[in-house]
Amino acid sequence: MNKMKNLIILASILSILLSCTSGGKKVAPGDKKISLTAAGATFPMPFYNLAFKKYAENTGVSLTYGGIGSGGGIRSLNDKVVDFGASDAFLTDKEISGMPAEIVQIPTCIGAVVIAYNLPGVDYLKMTPELLENIFMGAITKWNAPGIKAVNPDLALPDMKITVVYRSDGSGTTYIFSDYMTKVSSIWKEKVGTGKSLNWPIGIGAKGNPGVAGTISQSVGSIGYIGSEYAFAQKIQYALVRNSSGNYINPDIKTISSAAKVEIPADTRIMITNSSDPEAYPISGFTWIILYKEQSYSSRSYARAESVVKFLDWLESPDAQAIAETVNYASLPSNVSSVAKNILNTVTFDGKPVLK
Amino acid sequence: MTINNIPAFIDKAELRNKKNKLFLGLVIVLSVLTVIPIIFIIVKMIINGIGQLNFSFFVRTSPDSLQAMTAIANNETIPGGIANGITGTFLIVLMASVIAVPVGIMIGIYLYENQGRRYSNILRNVSEILQGVPSIVLGIISYLWIVKNVTNGFSAFAGSVSLSIMMLPMLIRSTEETLKMIPDEIIEAAFALGAPYYKVITKVLLPAGFSGLSTGILLSLSRVLGETAPLMMTALGSSVINYNISKPTSAVPLLIWEFYNDPNMVNLIWSSALFLMVLVLSLNILSRRIAAKSKSRNQR
Amino acid sequence: MISDRLTKTILFASSLIVLIISAGIVLSLVVGAIPAFKEFGAGFIFTNKWNPTEGHEVYGALPFIAGTLITSFLALILCVPLAFSTSLFIGEYFRNTRVSGILSSLVDLLAGIPSIVYGLWGFYTLRPIVNNLGLSDQGFGIFTSSLILTIMIIPYATSMSTEIIAMVPEELKEAAYSLGATRFEVIFNVIIPNARSGIIASYILALGRALGETMAVTMLIGNSNIVPSGLFATGNTMASIIANQFGEASGLKLSALIAIGLLLFAITGIVNSIGKYIIRKFV
Repeated sequence: MNKMKNLIILASILSILLSCTSGGKKVAPGDKKISLTAAGATFPMPFYNLAFKKYAENTGVSLTYGGIGSGGGIRSLNDKVVDFGASDAFLTDKEISGMPAEIVQIPTCIGAVVIAYNLPGVDYLKMTPELLENIFMGAITKWNAPGIKAVNPDLALPDMKITVVYRSDGSGTTYIFSDYMTKVSSIWKEKVGTGKSLNWPIGIGAKGNPGVAGTISQSVGSIGYIGSEYAFAQKIQYALVRNSSGNYINPDIKTISSAAKVEIPADTRIMITNSSDPEAYPISGFTWIILYKEQSYSSRSYARAESVVKFLDWLESPDAQAIAETVNYASLPSNVSSVAKNILNTVTFDGKPVLK
Repeated sequence: MTINNIPAFIDKAELRNKKNKLFLGLVIVLSVLTVIPIIFIIVKMIINGIGQLNFSFFVRTSPDSLQAMTAIANNETIPGGIANGITGTFLIVLMASVIAVPVGIMIGIYLYENQGRRYSNILRNVSEILQGVPSIVLGIISYLWIVKNVTNGFSAFAGSVSLSIMMLPMLIRSTEETLKMIPDEIIEAAFALGAPYYKVITKVLLPAGFSGLSTGILLSLSRVLGETAPLMMTALGSSVINYNISKPTSAVPLLIWEFYNDPNMVNLIWSSALFLMVLVLSLNILSRRIAAKSKSRNQR
Repeated sequence: MISDRLTKTILFASSLIVLIISAGIVLSLVVGAIPAFKEFGAGFIFTNKWNPTEGHEVYGALPFIAGTLITSFLALILCVPLAFSTSLFIGEYFRNTRVSGILSSLVDLLAGIPSIVYGLWGFYTLRPIVNNLGLSDQGFGIFTSSLILTIMIIPYATSMSTEIIAMVPEELKEAAYSLGATRFEVIFNVIIPNARSGIIASYILALGRALGETMAVTMLIGNSNIVPSGLFATGNTMASIIANQFGEASGLKLSALIAIGLLLFAITGIVNSIGKYIIRKFV
């Protein structure tokens, strides 16, 4: 009897394992299909996974993406264990010189940082750069402070303590937010500065977008910053922010894209926070993919290099950008994607451009 | 003792009995207290996760964000499942066990046979320190050793190496402690019969300690089945089922991490965790059955 | 016999594996940590600051050392009575009964729960409880993380000691009973001395687990990079800061994180040695 039970348990485990192979898509042995590997920022992961899937359906080239963080992505590219890396911040000159060979960077989509808060019944909260500076640096500690009231005269603000929530882990979201704050507040620039992780004057730290969003949703009176792709999918309250043209902008895909409707340098290394475009949401930023300019290294095949560049070319196309919008990422305006495509045309294999 | 002291004698006995009963009560209360959070956690996992569980959960690969979003918007169960994670976990953990279990048991036997020697003390201390290394550090190490130098890319093999290092300390210690509890007479009898050393190990030592050994194996397996950080830096993950050990592979904890970070797939975390728990439970029951059978066979 | 020699050699060779791996880990960590120690010197260990702002970078390990030690020890202290009672329950009092089989399975289940799930459960269930008790700001803090650590290390402390307790030879116990000892006395005079080594080994393993735990702690500890001001204040641990920052770190910060990893290695060793010394002297 016991033997029978053991056999049944074993058999059911085996049958589940075997049935797995028939259900999903698998990498068939002996198939010369290319499979690419990439790693980097967690911010664009849902978009990349979706894009990779669609691309694999169309062309048979499969891609694996690991969201190990921008730093991890750059390191992996540096160690040449991935085909390309993804980073929320463009490489600085110092970082570029640290790479073993010349690299190129192309932006792939745009994300934004929304100011999320938890005040039941208080919708369409308006924020100005001064308010943000005061709240996040501790100068204003209550919701019904005169500063906030002045900007939001129609809202019923409670007499409640403000709890600031920030990202405890190093993140591109923090980088974009702090870059914006550095641009609009000289006190912030001096005391806190820009970076992926900061020395926060006040508040509590939570890990990842889910940590911050979870903490805010569970604590009435809290305020913090979250990646837009995360905030849009959850029903979280977020504020309108006044941009450099004086308009209070509600973050959505259109206003985020508008932030990029500005002059883009040829190497695309620009932070689009506090954009000059009048329709732009001011706390927006690109995310980049980085690859080696000369693709024949470490005995890579031409076919592999071609797959990489062709894929990235597709990623910049309207089809792929439309996919981005379905999962709450803002697409690149045409001025940006054309610069990116120019860059891709310079990627070579053995000196010859890959894209003909 | 004179007859005058009998009441004192009886009092002392009563005191000892009282202590006995009191302690039993304490043990029961504390054991119940231990169980309470367990039940809380399991119940929460079941409540949040059971809705997602159906057969296709085990055979389909993980969904993407769009599928999850549309499913939530339409109030349906999210399509897809964790098949890529299940096969990956099996592949990686199996390889890790194949590496770690023989090595761990052999080291445990060595320590048992060489008690009190300086070298053994050093070995023991080192393995205990290894237990305290955060899993992410082991992931970084495996990245440096295997991903960079051996497989030239993220791979399931690198993941197995990091997990096997995590399994070692527990295997070593539980083997040594289990073997120490075996009465010396049994071992001596085997040697007295002229059995070669390796036969004493395989035919007497290991079977006698089987129950303890399988507990050690089970504990170390349970530990690594749920580990995320080392796999992130070594196996990376994959959206398809992969059996190639030199390529990136998914695993259930990695999928849990991906689900956690995606705003649309948070609910899948509980179902995946439920799967891991049921897996651990089955391994548990299996090993207990085998241990009980071997015990009944070994007892005269 | 030749086969005996061979067996002994193989066993010895296997023991080298653990030493080689550990030496390799220490070496890799030392290499990575050198820049940080060059910059901050040995004071790195005692600096109570963690400022990642570019241009003013100052890194110190003290906040994390404090956080790790406090949470792990608190977790062990809370865990020992629970684990000890449970292993007595399963391994001695109710051995081989249905109840203990169920209890044992439940405890083993705890070991199989991924730490991220512990973190989530702690976040959604434990934290509100601590918050409602008014013990700490928002429910985050050292105390909350110690609680979750306690639950997480129970299976490691219990499983092995249960096995060891159950393996104490019957003859010893029966001899004590025949002398008129109560159950309590048999436990403390026969079973515990006999099983002492195994029980302590299991607690040290549990402590090791607590020292290195990452995910669950990082979601509950509040992540403030200073030495905690009190039991219910927020803080951070070594494993948690490594996990939080490693993905995005580079240069000096990366080196500081690796240095912290190295320190954790050293601290685990020191704590284990002190623990064993105390036990040998006083227990």
